[in-house]
Amino acid sequence: MSILISIRTELIKAKRSSAFWLCLIGSGFIPAIFFIMYVARANKIIPTLNAHPWEQHFLQGWQSFASFLLPMFVILVCSMIPQIEFKNNTWKQVFASPQSLANIFFSKLTTILLMILFLFVMFNFFMVGCAVLANIIHKRYTFLHATPDWVLLLKMNLRTFISLLGIISFQYWLSLRLKNFIVPIAIGLALLISAMILLSWEQVDKMPFAFPFLTFTSMTNVDKPGALFLNHELNSIGYFVFFTVLAFLDMKYRKERG
Amino acid sequence: MSKSLIKTTNLNFSFGSETKTLQDVNLDVPKGSIYGFLGPNGAGKTTTLRLLLGLLRNQEGTIEIFGKDFGHNRIETLKRLGSLIEQPSLYGHLTAKENLDIYRRIYQCGKNRIDEVLKIVGLENTKSKKAKQFSLGMKQRLSIAIALLHQPELLILDEPTNGLDPNGIIEVRELLKKLNKENNTTVIVSSHILNEVERMATHVGIIHKGKMLFQGVLSELQQMKTKQAALEIETSDNGKAIQLLQQEYTTEQLENKILIPYQNREQAAKVNRMLIQNGVDIYSSHPQQSDLEQLFLDITSNN
Repeated sequence: MSILISIRTELIKAKRSSAFWLCLIGSGFIPAIFFIMYVARANKIIPTLNAHPWEQHFLQGWQSFASFLLPMFVILVCSMIPQIEFKNNTWKQVFASPQSLANIFFSKLTTILLMILFLFVMFNFFMVGCAVLANIIHKRYTFLHATPDWVLLLKMNLRTFISLLGIISFQYWLSLRLKNFIVPIAIGLALLISAMILLSWEQVDKMPFAFPFLTFTSMTNVDKPGALFLNHELNSIGYFVFFTVLAFLDMKYRKERG
Repeated sequence: MSKSLIKTTNLNFSFGSETKTLQDVNLDVPKGSIYGFLGPNGAGKTTTLRLLLGLLRNQEGTIEIFGKDFGHNRIETLKRLGSLIEQPSLYGHLTAKENLDIYRRIYQCGKNRIDEVLKIVGLENTKSKKAKQFSLGMKQRLSIAIALLHQPELLILDEPTNGLDPNGIIEVRELLKKLNKENNTTVIVSSHILNEVERMATHVGIIHKGKMLFQGVLSELQQMKTKQAALEIETSDNGKAIQLLQQEYTTEQLENKILIPYQNREQAAKVNRMLIQNGVDIYSSHPQQSDLEQLFLDITSNN
């Protein structure tokens, strides 16, 4: 059976699930705060944005989003997707259906990646939306007269997404392993906070939970040479492969499924 | 009817290192049968069925389903069977149709099957109601609908009538009998409700503490039942009655009752006549063990 069928069924399960609502509402959280700020404090903010309004707007938005909120949402989404099966007691039906273990495993992982992609798309959409709306309310904003730097935006999205891969595969493994919803979230949050504390450590580029922050700071640092991906981003891909293989083998050789 | 659809050989399984949950289980489910898999709670029924579905990794012994080794033909085998293990497995945030749509895609069957199976289990009017709002009985019926979606040749059902009201139990029983009769679907159904199995099974397997105690056609079990039956007599003078009966039968006294091996109604009439003719009044006289339950209890308690 094609993996596309398995992915399609996983997307039906994710429909109206808490993971879906988290991505939708979570992606609008920062843009909503920015919108309120832009409307309520227009006089103070307008002069700071006038040179490159979209660039400033996106950088500030991503700064708030990428360093803490985004990894936190990723931790939650990675727990919520496998939790659909735990909560509904449906693992046994999934494993007793004619799908290969690889299809079951990778379709869930793909769903998580698609949900996070959805979070990214909606965050960008709401960021553009809140700026346009603020400009309609306060005509002195210059968003409507400037063009966003789409390349910068795309780069920022792509590199941030890659920086998250290590966290995604690690959290996915934990969430498949542990029935209790809270434990993987608690471990993830503890590691995220540890990474925030250890940001000044020279080995920080080996700590997956610091990667989204490192990517963001590298994007704001104009002096850095323009390598396609930085060390920690390559490390993130490495962690992703490692934990994905580990999680798959763990599921495959488990004594009891479902 | 004689060909085995499920055959396990010396199936052994243990969850921990000490106690064995299953010991040399040799299950033989003939094609076209309704196989009642009986046993008290914790006997190993669910463990056996989970092994048959690959939900537990086989440790020792072989499992053949449709004449092929299950381990090497997992997907091909699962395509041809439907299952329901323990409590209903449903996505609470989705409707009945959405739940069925997930498995319709996996089993690759037509969209029309959704309405068909909903009608079969009587859930065609649930519309946009989410599965979490269903009663336990409705959830159980929807789970059965999922198992029926792809018209499987074999149904593996673990206590499918759990949580159903008496009407629901009868409906499920009749449905299974109908599927077996009309589509020649082989059904293995576990239960601890002996009466229920007796009413629909053609074959019976009894498991207790991980060991198969009996396996065969239902009539074989019923014969055993007759063989083990006793005539229970309560008289005005049990001492005298025992003296009289001992001349012809092995007697046993149980509190204020006398038990002798029961053969048939004529034998009962003869015994009564003899006692009365010898001045012993009979307060009650009836064959003991009128159902499978007593036999089941006897078999399991002896082990």
